Amino acid sequence: MAGDKATIRFEGRDLICRTGTSIATALWEAGIRHLSHSPKYGRPRGVTCARGQCTACLMRVDGVPNVRVCETPLRDGMVVERQDAGAFYGAPMQKMLAVGGDLVPVGFYYKWFTKPAILSRVFLSAIRPLTGVGRLPERAEAEAEPATDLGRIPTVVVGAGPAGLSAALTSDGPVVLVDENDAPGGLRLAALDEAAAAGCLDGFAGLTSARAGLNHLAEGVAAADVDLRTGVRVVAGYHPGGLVLRHGAELATLACDRLVWAAGALDAPGLFPGNDVPGVLGTRALLRLLVRDGLDVTGRTILLVGGGQDLWLAAALLETRGAHPSILLESDDNGTDLATAVARRWPLHTGLVLDRAHTAADGSGLRAEFVPGPGPGGGGRLTLDADLVVVCRRAKPIYDIPYQLGVDLHLAPEQGGFVPRGCTGSGWSTTVPNGPEVTFVGEAAGETPETVLAGAGEAS
Amino acid sequence: MSKPKIFLCRCEDVTVDEFTAAFREGFTELESLKRYTGVGTGFCQGKGCLCEATGELARLRELEPGDIRLTTIRPPSEPLTFSQLATLQVPDPAADPEETP
Repeated sequence: MAGDKATIRFEGRDLICRTGTSIATALWEAGIRHLSHSPKYGRPRGVTCARGQCTACLMRVDGVPNVRVCETPLRDGMVVERQDAGAFYGAPMQKMLAVGGDLVPVGFYYKWFTKPAILSRVFLSAIRPLTGVGRLPERAEAEAEPATDLGRIPTVVVGAGPAGLSAALTSDGPVVLVDENDAPGGLRLAALDEAAAAGCLDGFAGLTSARAGLNHLAEGVAAADVDLRTGVRVVAGYHPGGLVLRHGAELATLACDRLVWAAGALDAPGLFPGNDVPGVLGTRALLRLLVRDGLDVTGRTILLVGGGQDLWLAAALLETRGAHPSILLESDDNGTDLATAVARRWPLHTGLVLDRAHTAADGSGLRAEFVPGPGPGGGGRLTLDADLVVVCRRAKPIYDIPYQLGVDLHLAPEQGGFVPRGCTGSGWSTTVPNGPEVTFVGEAAGETPETVLAGAGEAS
Repeated sequence: MSKPKIFLCRCEDVTVDEFTAAFREGFTELESLKRYTGVGTGFCQGKGCLCEATGELARLRELEPGDIRLTTIRPPSEPLTFSQLATLQVPDPAADPEETP
């Protein structure tokens, strides 16, 4: 973590932040969690995905609207402001929206003032500015660097987590391996290494074995003839078999004969009251903030709700960073990891499930309420306070690029979300008409993190 | 105080209750629900809500989740600026009449 300081201007005041982090993390460390307002109800929103893939952290930065501050590095002298949906009408309208959102039914814009035509036109022109996000930029965009054409590549592997690394090592012929993070192994490898170095992984047999396996795979890829490109995200798949990659602001295109889709999964905290409250996150978002941004959580209480290997990994890394993990297991556990957690004296609750989350009345943190779960042994209701509530539930396979290429998907809850129709698990392939062969591996194929990490463990 | 809200789609602020109300009004396909409520049309392009909305619709229609028809997702999958888009040389769809997904 860089020790350098930078000053940013946030809504009329100067904040002194450390550099080497994202704007969102700097704001969180400065006590600012409310980054945007939601469009209809004016609800406060804060960092949610930490991956530039949701609406919650869009802010105006140096006069440019809709900047994803969770992914934008902090620079000295930046001017950062909250922007509002409906900014056209200003703050009073925002306050009215926060109250009035409840008064307008779903689909009202299709029902109200539709006749006569003149009234409809006036009504629509009045509500349209409310649907916009932010004001126009103060200056025109700079011209972007021309996109690079990388030509035709036999095999492209997307995602350098456990499944993608294995796939890259076992593929024949030239392979390009792209990953959005800075190093292969995914967020988990960096988290595992850091926790292990501090002794915080001791007793977690599954994670220790996964770490050895991931390191083995990452070293294998470094030694093999694999063209590894980090910091690259696939942002579009187009007919027939082309991909658009983004590295920073620059785009590149390529065509491939075979696409190995190892992109992993997206956090899916689930549907509960308060699922949009700033500070309610998924596991991946937390790991990203800790690993990529070095989020300072010293002395903070972080509530981890759910289960699985990622929960234990998050807890181990939080302890490494001097935070206080507090755990509520919603699902059964193998017992060994649970015993380790008990030995660590982490506060632990079982037999309950998350019912709702909200901001504490004094605004200082979050409050999560739990109710007895379906299984035996549940107690009464429970309320826990924390600085962050991290929901470690089954994540959703990432599906966007294969779907854009034409792969037929369906919802399979037992596989975590959308997977190709007929997909039987990791290694399943399909051929898109006039397009590439697409092979799904790892969590993107509907596997659990436990299966994927155990597979990596066997690799070492 | 109004009933606590459960957000199905955070980009467009659509609650589970609103989605259910739209279904009761007769919008029984994901595609029409998307157009009517805005679910999946926001900045995240459905990454945050499409699975959840599909699951809710399966529950409302009493169908298997796998039998719900999905909506179309078009590239790009994350917002790009016009200046970035202008740098791309991708095939002209008009020149390739092959049906796109």
